[in-house]
Amino acid sequence: MYSRIFLYLIFSAWLLQSCDSIEYSPNQAFDAESPKDINKKNLKWLAETPGDDTLRFVLTGDSQREYIYSEKLVETINKIPGVDFVILDGDISDFGLLQEMEWVNAIFSKLKMPYLGVIGNHDLVANGEDVFQRMYGNLNYSFIYQGVKFVCHNTNSREASFNGYVPDLNWLKQEMAPEEGVNAYIAVAHVPPYPGDFDPALVENYINVVNGSPNTLAALFAHTHTAGVSYFHDQNIPYIVTNAIENREFVLVEIVKGKLTYKNVEY
Amino acid sequence: MVAASLMLATRSSAQFPKFLIPKSVVSQYAGSIGFVSVGAGYELFKNDRGSLDFNYGYIPKNKGGVLHILAAKFAYRPIEIKVNKWAKLYPVNPGAFISYHFGPQFDTQWDKDTYEKGYYWWSTAVRPHISIGTELKLDAKKILPSLGVKALRVYSEFNTNELYLISYYQNVGSLSITDIFKLGFGVRVDF
Repeated sequence: MYSRIFLYLIFSAWLLQSCDSIEYSPNQAFDAESPKDINKKNLKWLAETPGDDTLRFVLTGDSQREYIYSEKLVETINKIPGVDFVILDGDISDFGLLQEMEWVNAIFSKLKMPYLGVIGNHDLVANGEDVFQRMYGNLNYSFIYQGVKFVCHNTNSREASFNGYVPDLNWLKQEMAPEEGVNAYIAVAHVPPYPGDFDPALVENYINVVNGSPNTLAALFAHTHTAGVSYFHDQNIPYIVTNAIENREFVLVEIVKGKLTYKNVEY
Repeated sequence: MVAASLMLATRSSAQFPKFLIPKSVVSQYAGSIGFVSVGAGYELFKNDRGSLDFNYGYIPKNKGGVLHILAAKFAYRPIEIKVNKWAKLYPVNPGAFISYHFGPQFDTQWDKDTYEKGYYWWSTAVRPHISIGTELKLDAKKILPSLGVKALRVYSEFNTNELYLISYYQNVGSLSITDIFKLGFGVRVDF
């Protein structure tokens, strides 16, 4: 008799667990429940945000394998008044796996404001590019909010074996070109143009293109797990790098009357 | 193993070595080795407690592929419960398996020209898993003699891999153990 009850229990456990736990492969590009087009949906949400005279947003990155600290980050940001949106600047995942991006999105979905995902080098590992494209969207994309154009793009040159096409400078040049309704430009990418993981052959041209818009306010990065700022070509345009989520520090950026200020916030 | 079996095959005067003939065929839904996978099963300890399967799995495009996967799976059945004259339950079967993903985006080692040693420390193609299964064995000779097979088995199997485990151990409290164990179902036919 007890074995029949045992059987029944096992079958019940199967049914309870089955919906969430079915996996075809850790590398599958999506499953029945994976979110789709997060950036597109959140940009629609952002466009509906009324906003005020202060454009305020958070730059963070490298949520890779840091779920506890990601939750703390979300709690912290939700307590800051007037944050319009959050940029999660790459290395959303550590291993380029669907499950990781789903876990991170589940946490970032608790933000009271929209967040936008940018591609990082770890997100391109294994099948990660397909996972990111379906879940977040294009690797290169831009949006305009309150007259500021944010140009988000892929600078993970090493993952393209330094083939000369990452970052895509032609695309970037078009996006940074003068445009009606745009007063200022901000470039956003994961790998900063330092020696190492950024294509050394493209560094100089990249800085020319980023600084070459009619009014570049800043360029924003993550990847190094150290907060920092650099200036290139004797121009007063800050290249701001956010600390990683593992080090519990992000950058809070404000633009008031066309002037950009920022501070590092620990949590 | 292939080389060894070829040698044996030649020695035993072109007769196919008996131990190479699978004892069962298996088909599985999900369980991290394909949308569906099919394979051949071998008995390890002659007491119905240990098995070794070689599976090929496939994920079609509309299920998150296309992916092609090979898996070598070991499972042990320490507990046997006789349910009745024709059914046995193996409630808790620990196991381990290795999966291999085919494709240019998956590597067993990272490109030496592009990456310094240790830049990424794991393999994207080879994934070690641990598993825990539950199996019900039906004596086909008693209930379905017309099939002409020894036994039919149905099983469920939860598994996780080293990348999920390390994510879990680093984030206990945020992730739960049920987050990292993934489910599959299978049927097996013993000859």
